[in-house]
Amino acid sequence: MHPGPGPIPPDPIIEAYKKDIDRTLLRENLKLSVEDRLRQLMQLQQFAEELRKAGRAVRRP
Amino acid sequence: MTDFSSLLRVLADGHVEYVLVGGAAATVHGSARLTLDVDVIYRRTPENLSRIVASLAETEPYLRGAPAGLPFRWDVETLQRGLNFTLITTLGPIDLLGEITGAGPYEKVLPDTMVVRAFGVECRCITLEGLIRLKRAAGRIKDLEAIAELEALREERDHER
Repeated sequence: MHPGPGPIPPDPIIEAYKKDIDRTLLRENLKLSVEDRLRQLMQLQQFAEELRKAGRAVRRP
Repeated sequence: MTDFSSLLRVLADGHVEYVLVGGAAATVHGSARLTLDVDVIYRRTPENLSRIVASLAETEPYLRGAPAGLPFRWDVETLQRGLNFTLITTLGPIDLLGEITGAGPYEKVLPDTMVVRAFGVECRCITLEGLIRLKRAAGRIKDLEAIAELEALREERDHER
């Protein structure tokens, strides 16, 4: 791992990617408890699974 | 779907020494990205291997993606012979990592961890800074966007303080 607890130096490539991050989502997540963040992830996983199932059903002849 | 509530409780009840890393750890720190499995780095002492085997036995661990019927014994010997295991359990997919690229084993990661509480149990999780360092050290192209989000999270968090 990166040595020591010192500051992590900026990386120009990562800085470029950072411009496209939707910070409004992050700010909302930071208002939640850890448990609520994990609950939200579980809901998202469930939603993704439902979409996958729907996609499979459409492709089935 | 990962049943985080049950999984964290099973690991806590079994006194398993592990650190939550990867996408689920990013979620703990506020990430908005979807992750489908749970990555944990576990301590490879004989005692801890026994705890892992005992704790997860009831979740019927099996090698993820392996053909059904492939002989797989969930015991301490299997864990001793391997290092990293990608498993599917009744509580969802879990990756048991003996080491992480660029970080090393559990003992090396431990100083960069924190204890969080969720679902009534305590869980040891890598710090946000540790996760950024770890993902940077891994040097994978696919992680660039995730690292950018983690660094943005750190900026937002520090701005709040």
